[in-house]
Amino acid sequence: MSTTTTSTTAASMQPRSSFARVPAAFRLHFQVKSFLIHVPLMVFFAAWAIALGIGFWLDRVRAEGPWTAEDPFYAGASQAVVWCLAFMAAYAASHNFPFSMALSFSRRVFLIGTYLAFAAVSAAYGVLFVLAALLERVTDGYGMHVYTFDLPFLTESSGIAGAGVLAAALCLMVMLVGFGVVILNLRMGLVWTWTVLLGLAVLVAVAVMLITSNDGWPAVGRWFSEQTSLTLALWTLPVSLVVGGGTYLMIRRATPA
Amino acid sequence: MSTQQRPAIEVRDVTRNYRGATALDAVSVTFEKDMIHGLLGRNGAGKTTLMSLITAQDWPSSGEITVFGQAPHENEQVLPQICFVREEQKYIDDAKASHAFAAAALAFPNWDWELAERLKQDFKVPEKTRIKKMSRGQRSAVGVIIGLASRAEVTFFDEPYMGLDAVARQLFYDRLLEDYAENPRTIVLSSHLIDEVAHLIENVVVIDQGRILMDEPVEQLRDRAVTLVGRADAVAEISGTREVLHHEELGRMARTTVLGALSQAERHRLKELDLDVVPVSLQQLIVRMTEKQQEAAR
Repeated sequence: MSTTTTSTTAASMQPRSSFARVPAAFRLHFQVKSFLIHVPLMVFFAAWAIALGIGFWLDRVRAEGPWTAEDPFYAGASQAVVWCLAFMAAYAASHNFPFSMALSFSRRVFLIGTYLAFAAVSAAYGVLFVLAALLERVTDGYGMHVYTFDLPFLTESSGIAGAGVLAAALCLMVMLVGFGVVILNLRMGLVWTWTVLLGLAVLVAVAVMLITSNDGWPAVGRWFSEQTSLTLALWTLPVSLVVGGGTYLMIRRATPA
Repeated sequence: MSTQQRPAIEVRDVTRNYRGATALDAVSVTFEKDMIHGLLGRNGAGKTTLMSLITAQDWPSSGEITVFGQAPHENEQVLPQICFVREEQKYIDDAKASHAFAAAALAFPNWDWELAERLKQDFKVPEKTRIKKMSRGQRSAVGVIIGLASRAEVTFFDEPYMGLDAVARQLFYDRLLEDYAENPRTIVLSSHLIDEVAHLIENVVVIDQGRILMDEPVEQLRDRAVTLVGRADAVAEISGTREVLHHEELGRMARTTVLGALSQAERHRLKELDLDVVPVSLQQLIVRMTEKQQEAAR
């Protein structure tokens, strides 16, 4: 038997950075363009168009109704794409994770690439949000006082840019949760996933009951009214960190099948 | 430097339990470098579990696994040199074959696009069909192409022929041998169609009920047994004290598979007794030896 190793082995077994394949893991999520680009963009613009259509219809009929022409119409369609991206993030866990195992990514590299992809998508959403809000600001709600992005409770406290930061931070948090729940399911199975989700629901219910029994709702309302878009965006960070970190602990021992 | 090359894969005393069921039971086995190994065994024997553990897609309950001397779990020094596409591999939702190949090209440092393109044409992998809408055979072909074009130092093929027709299977075996000749590497081919892969493999590892039953070079195995066919008393004379792997009798005729090569004198005597010697196929040999070991274990 030969005592020398082949040249390919020698070359490929050179020490390399343990993070050298992070860009490959990042790009894995963008191979299928419909996944994190085309479909979310479609949902973003379709929801916007639907809100605009309703606004246009309202503009036609409200002159005859109890409203005055200056009453603004606020729509919530700007968040539609966030829920679409939550599903996409879940797909990243259910489909892209098993495929990443076939490509022999370490779970750590796959997770870093995935989180960077989510961050890039969330940042893009934040930028689109800002551009759309600016358009609404400049055109006075397309001349019809119809607002989908330039919503006062988002843009008054820290400006349109602050609202964009909050939109991106919320989007990232929701994507991390969508991804984390599916990884939890892969790691622990259906029964434990639902036990954890129900446990969280019980915690929320207990918190609501405690607040109610202590007449705490005015204080909660005050706390929210004191927050700006930027401080709210900061408040999503601990949630994102806990969910993202917890997912790392789970994926370390998750199997693709 | 030692004259003995270190095995590519070393599995030492590995056990894997799944909620009370033992998929692998204290398995110790090595896979030599730059060789085609057959990982053979029945469905549910533990083949996929063993491959999942070696490729760090799963982890052992106890024991130790090294690939090129390093533990593969979360080890980016070793993992890029390993490729294991599962039999029922999941892909990115809505992915076409080209998407899967593009992702693989980024992941595997030795990826060969030329080979991938050629194989894509050979296997007639449809360009526009999404992988999830492909036939079983077409999906298998996508996995086979990733495995071959990855040129990973350690490549596993998990029942790669599933859904492939006879022509496509032969194509896979031919391309595998061609590429292996030009780029020697460690290939582990899991299969329960033993005779079909017999001409490819250089080393046989047989696994059954989570235990390794056999681990030997094919050449050594082929010499280990013969089947004698003829008159029962004549067969019995040659069988002598040899270990009998299998025995069938029909009237005065017998067909007996025995362990051990025949001496020159015995071959001469065969002619006198008018006995036929039938070579034992790898499949028969493995089936018989597996049965024997299972009986001994009972």
